[in-house]
Parts: sequence; structure tokens; C-alpha cells
Amino acid sequence: MRLAPVDYLILALYFVFVLCIGWIVKRRVSTSEDFLTSGRSVPVWITSLAFIAANLGAQEVIGMCASGAKYGIMTAHFYWIGAVPAMLFVGVFMMPFYYGSRARSVPEYLKLRFDEKTRALNAVTFAVMTVFSSGISMYALGLLFELVLHWSFTASVLLSAAIVLVYTFLGGLTSAIYNEVLQFFLIVLGFAPLAILAVLKAGGWSGMAARLPQVMTHTWKYAGHASENPMGVQVFGLVAGLGFVLSFGYWCTDFLVVQRAMAAESMSAARRTPLIAAFPKMVMPFVVILPGVAAVALSHMALGYSIPLKPGGGGPDYDQTLTTLMAQFYPSGMLGLGLTALMASFMSGMAGNVTAFNTVWTYDLYQGHIRKNAPDSHYLWVGRVTTIAGVAFSIGTAYLATHFNNIMDFLQLVFGFVNAPLFATFLLGMFWKRATGHGAFTGLLAGTAAAAATHGLTVAENKGGWLGAVWHTFPSTMAQNFWIAICAFSVCLIATALVSLISTPRVESELQNLVYGLTRIPHEDVPWYKRPAPLALIVIAALVLLNVLFW
Amino acid sequence: MSDLRITIGAFFVLVGAIVGATGLVADYHAPLESANVNLYGGAAMLIFGAVMLWLGRRKTGGHAS
Repeated sequence: MRLAPVDYLILALYFVFVLCIGWIVKRRVSTSEDFLTSGRSVPVWITSLAFIAANLGAQEVIGMCASGAKYGIMTAHFYWIGAVPAMLFVGVFMMPFYYGSRARSVPEYLKLRFDEKTRALNAVTFAVMTVFSSGISMYALGLLFELVLHWSFTASVLLSAAIVLVYTFLGGLTSAIYNEVLQFFLIVLGFAPLAILAVLKAGGWSGMAARLPQVMTHTWKYAGHASENPMGVQVFGLVAGLGFVLSFGYWCTDFLVVQRAMAAESMSAARRTPLIAAFPKMVMPFVVILPGVAAVALSHMALGYSIPLKPGGGGPDYDQTLTTLMAQFYPSGMLGLGLTALMASFMSGMAGNVTAFNTVWTYDLYQGHIRKNAPDSHYLWVGRVTTIAGVAFSIGTAYLATHFNNIMDFLQLVFGFVNAPLFATFLLGMFWKRATGHGAFTGLLAGTAAAAATHGLTVAENKGGWLGAVWHTFPSTMAQNFWIAICAFSVCLIATALVSLISTPRVESELQNLVYGLTRIPHEDVPWYKRPAPLALIVIAALVLLNVLFW
Repeated sequence: MSDLRITIGAFFVLVGAIVGATGLVADYHAPLESANVNLYGGAAMLIFGAVMLWLGRRKTGGHAS
């Protein structure tokens, strides 16, 4: 891929704007809460777009396009059942407790609801995981730019990391959120034209359907048996594993996304954040997955296009689908925009991780365990220093992400171990006042252990089975991951409930604004289209329609 | 800070103008596409940017967010 000066000009212009936003926002940061939680003052349309943009990292964009080429439109499940229902749940049912408790982070909610050890466990695993995700994202980007543009791996990683560092260092969470909105529009305007051009070239949807095997153009029709679809999953594993445990575990408890909603200016805005975000989330498959599906159709037409093979054999390298399509359809100019969008997706993912890591480290670990009663200016200083440390750790861990062929599968594995049991903890914590701190802590440990054990005792595509005995063989690692999540969730749920019943419950007066039944949800006098329930119903109707259309 | 929409609008107006102008003056073509992608893409971004600017300007009377 050859770039013209105009492409570099667009990339440079983007960098200038990103840094400008950081510089302008800097003036509004005077306390640690301004820096780490945006002082709860961000308008709802901004938090909504940031809510999905923080999740829309480079590995998401490249990985989803890759999965589109590998599995077909079935990949849309990661959005339609793997994200949207959980987003509705967190907005309608969970946000009143997150926002109402005045917690500054998800681990801090756990401290208020349960105890210090539960918070510490969650904060530490979360901190490690965010740095890890950030590193994976960085690695993916560096590798890609090296492959496609022959840029030095180190140079592209360091340049983009430096820019993320500058704007998050200057303006903290507000700067990250404002930039995520710019990045969101850039991702959509940079990739949507590619989807349109690729699909048109492949003969529209009907042309694609005629050229592809049927499984590639249906989402549910072949989900009945694992052997019938390329993902190797069946409907129960898909709905319970991905649609319930994994997706609720991520969207409802992952501080990276929940932090965006918690930065909203009011309870009503916080609840609407994930609901409004569900609309763009629902149509994202058409921007990021569809080009991948179209690429396979194009490779069947005598156009001279094919998905590149992995060096040294081993089938197609799906991770290159997006960039090869860009090279085929974008002339210099739009190509610069597309690459800028890729860079933007990387930066939004990384800034999201860095700002979440920041808050958790500063408030939950540093203030909670290392230095409790320092003046606020000290925590602001710690937050800023942590930004530098977070970026440095991410660069360090970027080299760990080498052993997995599909980035998506790897992320699922990590989520399965750490996040899957989490949702059980929050579910019981928010909706069962009898749940106790000892119960939650034991449940989390048991759930994570169950996840690891499931992975160790089963095998899929030569992965897992490290505990010696193999109890079950799954048709795909994806199916294995879904079942790991299901086991972790169930074990955590049962362990938490059992230990809670034999330990002393907290007095009810301490649980106000933390648990369902002891929290008064303020009735806000807003028109119907601003209320959570009607919004959620509209989302559900649109979701059902999409699933029927692409059955 | 001035409205975020103004910042975003300004960015896309600029990028739209650059990409659109490239489409007008240079004869860049991608291997699989014969249409002038730069011209249409640039125009679309220009319109999007202008709408964002207009939305931002309309609200900025005393309300800064």
C-alpha cells in the first residue's frame, strides 16, 4: 500500500485535533474527580458515543472484519445478542445502583456493597486486564502498520502511544471521552464507505448471498448444531454463553464502559447512556463485519482479489481483510482517512483502557490501600503519574499477544476467566440484599477457578486440556469459551449464595442506594422518549427486526 | 470549552475539503473502483461537518458544554 502526501496530511490533521481537545479540556481539570471521573458533568449524547467508542478498539475493528470473513454475518451475534441486551440491562436495571451509590468506580461500588477484599480482588484483576487489552491492541496495530505500510513496529506504536499519553495526561477522562466521540465519527465515516463500495462491487446483498455458502449469510438458521456452522457453536452455548454470561459480564461490570455512563451529568442521563448507545451499536455490524463478508464474495469473483495467506502456510490471514479491502477500494485521500480511522480506533481503545486503569489504581488501590487521607491535589498528581505508568505498561505487554491466531478468541478467553464470574456477583449484590462480602469474595475466587478448570479439562482446536485429563472436546475454541463462561458464572452464583447464607448479613440501613428494594429510584419528570423503559422497548423492537431480516 | 460539535464539525469540514479537492484535481484510482471515491467521500464529510457546525452554533448561545 502506497501513501500519497495527502494521506499523511489527514493523519497529521487528526493528531493536531486530538491534541487540541486535550489542551482545551485541560483548563477544566482542577480536582482529582475532574481528572478521573469528569466531575459527572458530561452531556448524554457524548457519554453514549464514548460508551461504544471506548470498546471499539483496533482489535475490535480488525477482529470483527476478520471474523466476518471467517464466519460470515453470524459474527453479528457479537453485537446483536452479545452486546445490545446487556446494554439495555445495565441502563434500565443496574445504573440506578452504580450512579445512585456515588461510587467513583465499579470496584468502589463493590467496596460499598460488600467489603474491602472484594474490591481489592476486582480492582487488581481489572487493572491487569486493562493493561493487557491495551497491550494487545497496540501489538495488533504495530504489526498491521508494519505489514501494510512498512512502518517500523516500534515507531508506530510509540508515536500513537505518545499521542494518547499527551491528551489523557492533559485532560484526563473528559479528554478521553471527548476524543472518543471524534474517534467514533471517524471510524464510521472512514469504514462505512468501504462497506458500501465492497458490497456494491460484490453485487449487493443478493449478489453476495449467491456467491457465498448459505451459512455465511444467515445468523440463526444454522445455529442449531455446532457441526452446521463455521463458528462450531450451538444455540444454547451461543445464547447462554455469549448472549448472557459473557456479554452481561462485560457490558454491565467492566469499568471501562461503565465509567463512561458514570460520567454523565444526571441519573437520568447515566441510565440513558447505554440505551442510546445501543442504536449505533446495533448497526455497527454493517460497518465492521459486512466488509469482511463481502471480501469473501469478492474473492470468488474473477477480480484478482483474494484474502492474503498467512506467511508459511496455514490458511488465509483474516486479520488482513480490512486493510487489503482498503487498498482495493480507497484511492489516496480516502485511504488516508481509512488509515486515520484505524489509528483512531486504536487510540480510543487504548485511551479507554488507560483512563479506566487510572481511576481504579488511584482511587481503589492507591487511596484504598497505600495512602488513605492525602489532600485531593495529591490524588490528582497520582492520577497523572498513573497515566504515564499505564501507557508504559501497555507498551511492555504488547509483546505478550503472540500465541493466538485470532485476537477475538484470545480476548474471549480472558473475559471468560475474569469477567464471567463477576456478573453473578453483581447480580446477587444488586438484587439480593442477603448477599455478603464473604460470599462475594469466595464466589469470585470459585468462579475464576471454575473457569480455569473448565479450560484445563476440555480441549478445542488443540487449546486447553492442560490439567491432564480431557473430559470433553469442543468443536471450536469459541464454543469452549462460551462454556467456560457458563461454568464460571454458575459456580460463582452458587458459591456466593451458599457462603452468604452462612455468614452474617449487613444491616439494611447500610445498604441504601446499593441494593434493589432499599433504593428509591428518583422519578424524573422527563418526556417519554427520555425514559429508560420506552427507549429499551424501541431498541428491542429494532433488534428483533434485524435478527429476523438476517435470520 | 466551546461545544464539542464545533470541534468535530471543523475537523470534518477540513478533511472533507482536503479529500474532495484531491478528488477534483488528482486522478487517483483504487484497483477495484472506477468511481471518484475521493470526490463523493469528501462531499459527504463536508456535509456532515457542516451539519455538526450548525448544530453546535445553534446551541452555543450562553450554553457552553
